[in-house]
Amino acid sequence: MSISQKTAWAQLGIFGALVIGWVVLFAVEGTIFYWQDETMMMAFYWLCAAAFAGLVVMNVTAVIVKSRTGAITDERDRAIFRRASLWATGTSYSVVVALLLVLAIYYMNDGSDVISVYFPLLIVIVGGVTLLLTQAVAALLLYGRKVNHA
Amino acid sequence: MPRARIGNRIRRLRFERGEMTQEELAARAGCTRQTIIALEQGKYVPSIELAFKIARTFGVTLEEVFQYEE
Repeated sequence: MSISQKTAWAQLGIFGALVIGWVVLFAVEGTIFYWQDETMMMAFYWLCAAAFAGLVVMNVTAVIVKSRTGAITDERDRAIFRRASLWATGTSYSVVVALLLVLAIYYMNDGSDVISVYFPLLIVIVGGVTLLLTQAVAALLLYGRKVNHA
Repeated sequence: MPRARIGNRIRRLRFERGEMTQEELAARAGCTRQTIIALEQGKYVPSIELAFKIARTFGVTLEEVFQYEE
């Protein structure tokens, strides 16, 4: 397994755990529409901060391992990463658009002209996590499939 | 329109050169062992640059390593 594959697995682990953490949090603390609850908000932010710290540690570790062991990433790793990033960008964009539409429709049906200030931030975070999670999954799938350099 | 396929003789060439290991070929061609494995399994079509490096490692022409099949 190349260092890029190990990095993709670590990324999947970190953001998979974050999504599981969110699901548990929403299950325990109520639905997303009780977002103003202080405990839930802080727990959500701490989960995000932990995942971000995990991402930083993962990348720093990868750089250290590369410099110490001489492990390299080559053109195939870069081709896979490029394609995985394309998939991830498309998926993330679709998720953000879908969330914005759902939010608009929900509040319009509710007869309200305003939304909570937390929702735009939440949508940006969900979009970012979707991007990183999809990138990891797509990269791991592509390592098992036929890939062309171009 | 049928898809073109690029085949290769890397595994055969390695064995013809005293059972050169995948690790050794990867080091000499400047790629990872996983890429050599993917090439031998037909799961990766390399860049022209890597194709030339592999051919030069074996001391043969490009077409003796890679074949274009329609």
